Amino acid sequence: MSSEYASAQAGEPAEEGGGGAREAAAAGRRAGPVLELVELTRVHGEGAAEVQALRGVDLEVAAGELVAVMGPSGSGKSTLLTLAGGLDMPTSGRVVVEGTDLTTASRKELAALRRRSIGYVFQDYNLIPALTAAENVALPRELDGISSRRARKEALAALEEFGLQQLADRFPDEMSGGQQQRVAIARALVGDRRLVLADEPTGALDSETGDAVLALLRSRCDAGAAGILVTHEPRFAAWADRVVFLRDGSVVDTTLRSAAESLLAGGAAQ
Amino acid sequence: MSAQNGRAQPAVPGVGRLHAWRVAVRIARRDAMRYKARSLMVLAMIAVPIIGVSAADVTIRSSQLTVAQEADRELGAADVRLTDGGDGPQPVYQEPHGGSLSVRQAEELAKGAGDSAVESNGESPPVDMTKALPPGARWITDDETYAPVMTKYGLLDVEVRELKADDPIARGITRLDKGRFPRTAGEMSATTAFLKSSGLHIGSQVKVRGLGRSYTIVGAYELPSELDTEQLDALPGAFIEPYKKSPATSKDMWFAPSPSYLVSVEGDFTWDMVKHANTLGVLGDSRVVREHPPARADVPLYQVLPSYGKSQYGGDNGRAEAVAVGVTIVSLSMLEICLLAGPAFAVGARRSRRQLGLVGANGGDRRHVRAIVISSGLVIGVAAAVVGTLLGVALTEVLRGPLEGYVGKRFGGLRLEPLELAAIGGLAVLTGVLAAVVPAVAASRQSVLASLTGRRGVRRASRMLPTAGLFLLCLGVAVVFYATARADNIYTAVLGSGLAEIGLAMMTSVLVGLFGRLGRWLPVAPRLALRDAVRNRGRTAPAVAAVLAAVAGSVAVATYAASKSVEDRQSYQAELPRGAVAVSAYGDAQRDLGQVRAVVAKHYPVTGRVDVSRIYVGPPECATGDGAEKCGSVQPVMPEANKCPSSRQDIGPLTRAQADKLMTDWRCDRPGRPAAIGTEGGVLVGGPGVLHALGIRDGAAEQALARGETVLFDRAYADHGTFKIKLVADSTDVPEDGAEPKGPVKALPAYLSAQSQSYGVTAVVPQRAADAAGMTTTPAGSFFTTASMPTDAQRQALNEDVAKIGTRAQVYLERGYEGNGGVILLALTLFAGLITIGASGITTGLAQADAEPDLRTLAAIGAAGRLRRTLSGFQCAVVAAMGVVLGSIAGVLPAVALRRVEKRHQWNEYRRMLMAGWSDGSNVPHVPVAIPWETLALLVVGVPVGAGLLAALVTRSRPELGRRAEG
Repeated sequence: MSSEYASAQAGEPAEEGGGGAREAAAAGRRAGPVLELVELTRVHGEGAAEVQALRGVDLEVAAGELVAVMGPSGSGKSTLLTLAGGLDMPTSGRVVVEGTDLTTASRKELAALRRRSIGYVFQDYNLIPALTAAENVALPRELDGISSRRARKEALAALEEFGLQQLADRFPDEMSGGQQQRVAIARALVGDRRLVLADEPTGALDSETGDAVLALLRSRCDAGAAGILVTHEPRFAAWADRVVFLRDGSVVDTTLRSAAESLLAGGAAQ
Repeated sequence: MSAQNGRAQPAVPGVGRLHAWRVAVRIARRDAMRYKARSLMVLAMIAVPIIGVSAADVTIRSSQLTVAQEADRELGAADVRLTDGGDGPQPVYQEPHGGSLSVRQAEELAKGAGDSAVESNGESPPVDMTKALPPGARWITDDETYAPVMTKYGLLDVEVRELKADDPIARGITRLDKGRFPRTAGEMSATTAFLKSSGLHIGSQVKVRGLGRSYTIVGAYELPSELDTEQLDALPGAFIEPYKKSPATSKDMWFAPSPSYLVSVEGDFTWDMVKHANTLGVLGDSRVVREHPPARADVPLYQVLPSYGKSQYGGDNGRAEAVAVGVTIVSLSMLEICLLAGPAFAVGARRSRRQLGLVGANGGDRRHVRAIVISSGLVIGVAAAVVGTLLGVALTEVLRGPLEGYVGKRFGGLRLEPLELAAIGGLAVLTGVLAAVVPAVAASRQSVLASLTGRRGVRRASRMLPTAGLFLLCLGVAVVFYATARADNIYTAVLGSGLAEIGLAMMTSVLVGLFGRLGRWLPVAPRLALRDAVRNRGRTAPAVAAVLAAVAGSVAVATYAASKSVEDRQSYQAELPRGAVAVSAYGDAQRDLGQVRAVVAKHYPVTGRVDVSRIYVGPPECATGDGAEKCGSVQPVMPEANKCPSSRQDIGPLTRAQADKLMTDWRCDRPGRPAAIGTEGGVLVGGPGVLHALGIRDGAAEQALARGETVLFDRAYADHGTFKIKLVADSTDVPEDGAEPKGPVKALPAYLSAQSQSYGVTAVVPQRAADAAGMTTTPAGSFFTTASMPTDAQRQALNEDVAKIGTRAQVYLERGYEGNGGVILLALTLFAGLITIGASGITTGLAQADAEPDLRTLAAIGAAGRLRRTLSGFQCAVVAAMGVVLGSIAGVLPAVALRRVEKRHQWNEYRRMLMAGWSDGSNVPHVPVAIPWETLALLVVGVPVGAGLLAALVTRSRPELGRRAEG
């Protein structure tokens, strides 16, 4: 991996973030959850073709908290993420992001929320090929009607904060997969957004690059953002404060970070 | 970072939208550059018509001259051109630049004497124009006349001018191309147009018929505003005077020269000076008056006749019609381009599905997605506007020579009208944007999740559109029926057909569904193709509609052209049996008859010859001299009972019922028939040989001629077994009360032949019958029968020899009907075929983009590699076939309607003429309808097969590996 990852790779997950970040995170928790899922149910299809993707899931994610969601294929991980971001509507239950109930919001309000509050990071092909890294990061802001100059300024600031300023004018096909994912995280948190929804962000990366990407995500959560990370990999879930296990659309277990680490470490040893 | 930035201020809505559009345009612009082939294809589609329109605009504007440029070309460097007012030294009135009237005529008109007052009262003495010249003026003369000039191909009536073209005053009137202007009386220069049409060149001797001398052509020039004018230029005095004095100059051929003076004065030749010249009977066309015309109040002619020179005709009507036609053509072309380019944008949107999904995931709403797809139309539209207008202007400059030749005028300069070019460019932008609207709306309706996951949904077409389409179709058909049955207005039929066609296009999605039912009987590849096309109507329908529109247009024109061609063939009036030849001579050409007959016998495969004469009335010079005085005329007499009742003087206006009855009356059906040897009343003097030459096999008629009886072919002239001819002593003596001219009537015993085709011959009178009746005859020409149709080489050889004789005698070879409809039909078929292949090709590309997963599945279950090609071929063929079938149906309807309305219109007109007593029977309408079956077969079968094969050929047979990171 190239040297640009050095800052993100420094230290073990347990040591990530300083005391200040922890305090900020604690302050965020005190202020109430950024994301709140209440009795969330999603049913696809009807009759014989009916599939229960989620069954009455409750989940809260506070500012400064990174929650990993794990589970086998078809357990409802991705559905949970799309409902949390307002890309899909639940059959019943509520999704509340920073006090706004997504289930009652209009399509326009949902789009505006995605511009201002929610950031997505997918497994791959996150960036718009026709735009440079800086323009990709500036995209939500520009769509929000901010002038190109101001949006670019903010994007450059964000890239610098992430240590990616040297990529600003590169197009996606001129970047490595890891670089693309880190730019995508920068975009997910540009402006005022505080909720990052990451769907297997490391799925298409080697483990070293994957760690670098997650280190970055962790650091942003420590700085006050709330995040959900869907992953198959226990070693990546170890970066989270909490791990939620899903099976057949229901939460079967929730483990706090310390317990999760030992649990996952044990699992890895076995 | 959120902590540092704080909550973003909401943007000002209008400004915010603008910023969002900037991102959209940026994405679209970069995408256009990434997918160059697709972008270029759409760009070409939009730019090609723009090139044509902008080139036409620049050509029209450049050929419009400024007042100063026009003055230079007509007056040269002179300040004024003075011409004879035509009324002797009497005062005249003139417009600043245009018409003139003598004071007498103007005053009579002012009194309300009518237009007859404007007619000249005969020749007036010439005016001495030098009296109108101010002191110190310098002038040259510019006179011209017409004369028959012998060319390589025969006689050509050309303008012969006497202008010292290289004088400084004449500079600008002519432009020397090659050689020089004449310097001696034996030289002439000629316009390039004359040299081209005469086959002569610099150094040739040019001879004028009737003048015993020839001139050497020493130069070629052109008249910048009249490139097509065939003109010769000689030094003043070198041609007109000698020609006028030549005894051989035929009197009726003499065209009085129109003398004019090109005058250069100190200062300007003002309007006051023009008015002074008018008082002397001289007209002045002054440069300064052209540039600064006087006020209407300062023009004496307008004082006397206030309405003079104001348009009396509703010119606006024609203009409005032209604008309507123009707008229709432009809108139809734009619609066609939108239909063709639309699917291309849809392909783009489909391929960028994930990219659009990402925009949605990052907060882009439907508006933003629409903006991105519409921006792709905007970007390509702007590029097409720039490329199209620039290429249009460049093309005009490159093709300037041929274009000037086409409009017959040198441009004043390349004149660019920025506003007009901007408007034309605007059309390109509008077309691009409109073409992208439907794909944009479709893309924005896709859910973000479906876009991101690449989940395919079958897009159901809306039900509203086909329902509205059905309504329009029914309405259109009703209007067409109304138009063909009731109204005789062509526009109503066109409107109805247009509505029906739009309705059909709107119903395409439903009709495509109907085609799907054929699927179950088809093998796997065509079945897959058909089902795919039917399931994805959203993308199939626009392409089918595009093909439908193009094919409908072509089929409509083809059907109309085929019907017209049948009409032309049926209304073609042969003057002789095919392959027969006639030589005819009238007046002074009679003396060349012998030579011309010999030339025909020499070059053509002649098997027989028969000479004919004509009857003439008057002294012997009436037989040989054109324009001889006191010549009479020969008029066959039609019995009153045989005259079409409507044309009889004693019958008043007819009722509609009476007119309807007359429409089937044989007496009123008298189409005019041209004759190879034209004589008065179609009466020829000759023997049985004439019948042979005309291919008339009628033994009884031959026997009648042998007995000395006249053979009559027109039963309207049969009068109790006789054919009567009236000999009018002076043909110029026409009774004023409309009565028939008087003269002795000769009754000739006649046999009425049952032969209907007599090639314009009313009757053949035996020589001895004519002699016995005391009628004088003179040779009129000869008929020749031939063994075979003369070849092109034989025809050229004959023309050359006839030209050498320099005669006005005519040689006519009957070649039968030769239509050019085939070329038009072929061009239309090709046009429709190209559009069809283009549209179905684009849709196939779109289908391929969608079908990739299916193809991978097929490959996985063991389908052969060629299935991909086969499927692609059938996808293309299916779209093409649906489009051409629907288009052919939609195209035949308006053409048939149009023809039926035309028929109705013409019959109504005919009835009206019969009722008014104006019909002479030569205009019985004949409006057949013909369906161009060959064109239709080629379109319905050939084009889909061709399109399918082409698509199969250009499709890769190997599948794409994995998904590429193209968003």
